Amino acid sequence: MQTLQIRYRLKTSIPLLLVIIFACCVPLFTGNQALTLIIPALLWGVACMGLTLIARAGQVSMGQAGFMAIGAYSATLLALRVDVPFGLNILLGGIISGIVAFLIGRAVLRLGGMYFAIVTLAFGEVVRVIAINARNITNGVYGLTVPQPQISIGGYVIAFAVTKAAYYYLSLGLVIIAALIFWRLDVSRLGRVVRSISSTPELSQHLGIHVMKYRLIAFTVACTLTGVAGGVYCHFLAFMGPTVFVLSHSILILIMSAVGGLGSAVAGPILGAMILSPLGDYLRTVLVGARPLIFGGLVVIVMFFLPGGLVTIVDRIRSGGRRGTGARNAGLKNAVRNLVSK
Amino acid sequence: MALLELKNVSKFFGSLAALKDINLEINQGELVGLVGPNGSGKTTLFNVISGFYHPSEGEIFYDGKRIAGLRPDQIASRGLIRTFQSNVLFKDATALENVIRGCYLRTKANSWQAFFGTRGYRKEEKEIVQRAEEMLDFFGLSEVRDVLADELPHGHQRSLGLAVAVAANPKLLLIDEPVSGMSEEESTVAVDHIRELANRITVILVEHHVKTVVAVCPRVIVLNFGHTLADGKPEEVMSQKNVIEAYLGTEEVVK
Repeated sequence: MQTLQIRYRLKTSIPLLLVIIFACCVPLFTGNQALTLIIPALLWGVACMGLTLIARAGQVSMGQAGFMAIGAYSATLLALRVDVPFGLNILLGGIISGIVAFLIGRAVLRLGGMYFAIVTLAFGEVVRVIAINARNITNGVYGLTVPQPQISIGGYVIAFAVTKAAYYYLSLGLVIIAALIFWRLDVSRLGRVVRSISSTPELSQHLGIHVMKYRLIAFTVACTLTGVAGGVYCHFLAFMGPTVFVLSHSILILIMSAVGGLGSAVAGPILGAMILSPLGDYLRTVLVGARPLIFGGLVVIVMFFLPGGLVTIVDRIRSGGRRGTGARNAGLKNAVRNLVSK
Repeated sequence: MALLELKNVSKFFGSLAALKDINLEINQGELVGLVGPNGSGKTTLFNVISGFYHPSEGEIFYDGKRIAGLRPDQIASRGLIRTFQSNVLFKDATALENVIRGCYLRTKANSWQAFFGTRGYRKEEKEIVQRAEEMLDFFGLSEVRDVLADELPHGHQRSLGLAVAVAANPKLLLIDEPVSGMSEEESTVAVDHIRELANRITVILVEHHVKTVVAVCPRVIVLNFGHTLADGKPEEVMSQKNVIEAYLGTEEVVK
């Protein structure tokens, strides 16, 4: 039994280690242009992992862009007005985002699926409108220039503004840490509880599970990390304004998560983001106007043939071409069912 | 002191009285049958006791403490567990996973310990899997442990529902029509399991099949239109005139 476990660990750890080593070497052979496509993909990946967790807890949030905006604005304002050093401001931005999620969640997570989706959608818009109108704080539609950090390690200075590579490693680091957190949540008892709630909340309640408590934990953790991702993103853009994180981004996060696979806590969302985000950005520069058609068409095709998401392809490769049990499909099925239920 | 006490409990849905002035006492160790025609309020009574509904009137005492108005998970954590008339299970999980999820109340490690995977937590997780497998074994479900609950035949799903409920470590177990839709064989086996359970925990058993209840339960309560019609030994209760009148097809009951 022990050897089986060790073999399983090696089977998953070694490819994972190779992927991480490969990921660390990427800036060595790609130019800045490629990195400009990859860095946002990594950050969307974090947001997608957050959304997937919330969806696995039984609710579909249409306002994740709002939490990225809160994280981004908080980080920017902390740096500009309060001189909070780089890194700490992003972290605090995430925490503020988490606090807002906690306060809103207590009221809103009780709501039935559709109502929760509508309220979170409205929330995202409210954040945007506040950002536009609170001119004294946010500079309204003109936005804020985000100060670029210069980190000196020893005598060596890393100028973030010049080298995209620095942002790449920062984003990669965030993805790895977030992936660890979301993965750990998923494989532990907490993940099991969350899956119970998503599957059959009434039964979960009668087995002693406090549904609201775990929904709130999932929501708060997800939105905290989403806020951190937002903070990193606005530093990467060197700009933060009301147009940076809008409703279409919330929808995009949902689409990327669904295409990647809602049945998977980490691999699915990251896969969805890493494939769709660069694809979308690339299509925008190459084929003006065709992007919605190709992008939308691709999404429809994937969801039609692979309701469990792209991650089911990875499953098949790992199990040597055998078809799965369809357990991954449960993610999307439950999410849709929760959305249309009371 | 009675384990479960209901005082003047009523439940109204609009102007419909699903339960009206229910008074009963269940003592620890009892095995009580709850019978009544369709629509008499048996499942509503379970829903009110387990916290799924709040009673419109009256008090409910469990272990001496008021429980009316508590959340279902709060009531369940005190050892009051119920099963469901329909097959309420985690449909997209295997039978083993269902019972493991049922063991939630047996876990003592808190969320932080679970997240960081402390040694105590990991030990507890191993014990839970073991416990779940024993539970499946007891109910004769070991062979289907890796089958998705959705794909199990009806009889197995009923048994699994019971297994999940027992996994939650009940002191008082409310069983709602455990053998409905089961074959004669499956029923007998299931009833034996329930008899064995009743040696260790207090059980209230709702069952349509009056013969089964009369044979198994030393005490029977009869409901009709939300009232208690009778409460006592099965032979006495079943020969009461008003009970016989409540049931159509009275010959079967009298036998």
